Amino acid sequence: MVAVDYLLQETSVGYGLYQVVQQPDTIGNRLKEVQEATQDLSRFGKMIKLVSFAPFQFSSPPSRLLGAAQALENANDISEGIANDHLKALLELNLPKGGKKKKVVLGISDKSLAGSIKAAFPGVDCETNEVVQDLLRGLRLWGPKFLKQLQDGDMDRAQLGLGHAYSRAKVKFSVQKNDNHIIQSIALLDTLDKDINTFAMRVREWYSWHFPELVKIVNDNYLYARLILFIRDKKTLSNDRLHELVAITNDDAEIAQSIIDAAKVSMGQDISDMDMENICHFAEKIVSLADYRKTLHGYLVDKMSIVAPNLAQLIGEVVGARLISHAGSLANLSKYPASTVQILGAEKALFRALKTKGNTPKYGLIYHSSFIGRAGAKNKGRISRFLANKCSIASRIDSFSDSPTTKFGEALRKQVEERLDYYANGTAPQKNQDAMKDAMDAVLADIAVDADEDDEDVDPEMVDIVEPKKPKGKKAKEKSKGNREGKSGKKQRKEKKEKDKKDKKDKESKKRRRDEEEEEEEEEDVSEKKKPKKPKKEKKSKA
Amino acid sequence: MAFTPRGRGGARGGATPRGGSRGGARGGSRGGFGGGARGTPRGGARGGARGGGRGRGTPRGGGRGGRGGAGGAKGGARVIIEPHRHAGVFVARSKEDMLVTKNLSPGESVYGEKRISVDTPSTEADGAPTKTEYRVWNPFRSKLAAGILGGLDDIFIQPGAKVLYLGAASGTSVSHVADIVGPTGNVYAVEFSHRSGRDLINMAKKRTNVIPIIEDARHPLKYRMLVGMVDVVFADVAQPDQARIVGLNCHLFLKEKGGVVVSVKANCIDSTAAPEAVFAREVQKMREERIKPLEQLTLEPFERDHCMVVGRYLRSQS
Repeated sequence: MVAVDYLLQETSVGYGLYQVVQQPDTIGNRLKEVQEATQDLSRFGKMIKLVSFAPFQFSSPPSRLLGAAQALENANDISEGIANDHLKALLELNLPKGGKKKKVVLGISDKSLAGSIKAAFPGVDCETNEVVQDLLRGLRLWGPKFLKQLQDGDMDRAQLGLGHAYSRAKVKFSVQKNDNHIIQSIALLDTLDKDINTFAMRVREWYSWHFPELVKIVNDNYLYARLILFIRDKKTLSNDRLHELVAITNDDAEIAQSIIDAAKVSMGQDISDMDMENICHFAEKIVSLADYRKTLHGYLVDKMSIVAPNLAQLIGEVVGARLISHAGSLANLSKYPASTVQILGAEKALFRALKTKGNTPKYGLIYHSSFIGRAGAKNKGRISRFLANKCSIASRIDSFSDSPTTKFGEALRKQVEERLDYYANGTAPQKNQDAMKDAMDAVLADIAVDADEDDEDVDPEMVDIVEPKKPKGKKAKEKSKGNREGKSGKKQRKEKKEKDKKDKKDKESKKRRRDEEEEEEEEEDVSEKKKPKKPKKEKKSKA
Repeated sequence: MAFTPRGRGGARGGATPRGGSRGGARGGSRGGFGGGARGTPRGGARGGARGGGRGRGTPRGGGRGGRGGAGGAKGGARVIIEPHRHAGVFVARSKEDMLVTKNLSPGESVYGEKRISVDTPSTEADGAPTKTEYRVWNPFRSKLAAGILGGLDDIFIQPGAKVLYLGAASGTSVSHVADIVGPTGNVYAVEFSHRSGRDLINMAKKRTNVIPIIEDARHPLKYRMLVGMVDVVFADVAQPDQARIVGLNCHLFLKEKGGVVVSVKANCIDSTAAPEAVFAREVQKMREERIKPLEQLTLEPFERDHCMVVGRYLRSQS
């Protein structure tokens, strides 16, 4: 076991560097007697000596919202595991330069910080073992006692200020900003649909006192409201207004004529101007709401084509948006296994089935896609499973790719179509390998065109890598992407995501192969047996 | 309301672990919720507030918790405030009894709860009586309140304590904990969700002893700069790996022999197993994290299939 020479403590008021004067007991670390050493200030004080303290600049007095800029910057760096310049300066000044043979051992609390400290100070070794953690616990407990200048309550105030600043920054900067708008707009769309329907029912009821026949002739809510605004008092309706009426009824002269005829023989009551005025006000509101719904839908479609183009292409904007909204964000959705995507939105039925050991649901939100309606009753479950697989892939592509294309979405959509065909009349679908290769080629062709335009953009090697490995084209792309990012020195985290995705895809493709084999067998029982396994996965993903 | 904070103290007889004895002890006081309690009060009370996301978090979903606090909060003159067995918690006795805490920022409600103002005679001989304001604490909305009403032996949260509160949500329960610890204590309120974090920050602006931390409680190292050593860890995170989360935070921030109070929702950990089995498993996991369980208490009738586990963190235990 390596002896710890120094300890680094990160507090809300600054960084503290301590020297370990007396090495702690490393054997029997959890024994009561050993643990007591850190509990007792007099004993602990003999073990540790303060070397230096690098306070953060605070505006005085430390206010809650302002003046903690430097502390906030450091807190953010610490939480990401980055050594801030302030910290480096402290270590530079106070740590002895360790040689190659004899390195200085610095005890810190976070492993991720170790990397960036080592990078800056080659002569320093970082240690995070349990003994160090115990010492740091002692420092956390007794820290303020070592810092003589610190007044009582300074630490609390600094924590309060920093806590507020840190949390505000967190709330302000949200990673999934784009998804939020989709989630809100799909929720609003649903509410609007509901409301427009209730309002339309109300206005039909109301206007029907005056002109009951109109309800029978016109079914559409929006058209009905617009007709109210046009007709107003049915007595004013005569054949010379036919032309305008036709314009409103979408050039359907038949309907327009029947409205005029009905108005002449209507059995409705007469209505006063004031009542008419109120009905019209209400109808106006409905028309404007319906118009607003249209623009909102357009907005959602636009937004989806930016955020999740492939998913939108595969399953449609609205259902895709619902999936995202249900998962919480596109990133969350892409982390779900396909089996979860399949029953997303059917949680109640799922948990009921689990409790009663009954059959789990076949589909949740994806039921609203047109594919499932088109499948025969026997194949609904199968196509739902297939579609969920494709959705899961599409969402992953959308979530992790840098340049959005719809090529994969189109290919996936085609695959689902073919699968439907296969169930309906036995046409053999294209092999998955080939389908994916085609899509990948299409994407690469696009990129190649781009590359011609500005050749700085794409690494030519990438194409070379992809070409020979035909079947795993997609994976190769991921790999090359990973490389590219590594080169350009982007965040490691992103790379990790890419890697995770690759792993997932591996699993996914394996699973798909398995699924396809099953489907060949056409055994309903097999899929039934498989189902009970799914929920476990789902729970994991929820965690 | 159905609780007698003191009366039961004798029946429990000190160290007897909870369990069978509870049934009898509660006997009379059950009346309020007894029998059909499961169905009616729950549905109305919590049901409405559930709604989105983490349920408890959403502020005022559909009306507050039914009869929880609405009772005799008016007519301030009739109300008598008595201290509860737990320091910092009080009981307002009027037509119905209510659990209350002393309001740290008088004149304001946090989530639309009722407030009770009481005259307390001045400490000086001739001084005018001072007004003290209390806020009603609804056990249907706060699991800690439900635990206190259920008769937890020791909640560790007391005036002057430093509390690490995991799963703070919108800060409704946190505000009461802040009331209990008072100006000399601290509450480090950790919440992951940005949406409810917003409300939490707003609440914390009014109470200077609450330190809001919007961060994942799974990674306590990320907020190690913001938190000092604490006396108590309270966790209401409802995650399958919550024992691990609690353990991580304890190892980093909790004093030796500090208190751990964890609320366990059986459904969130394993929806297929029997609640009792889930509780037992969670307690075992906590033992492995060097938390010595002291007592376990079901939160019926306030919550279904929930339990409260109280333990003591013993790092030196080998």
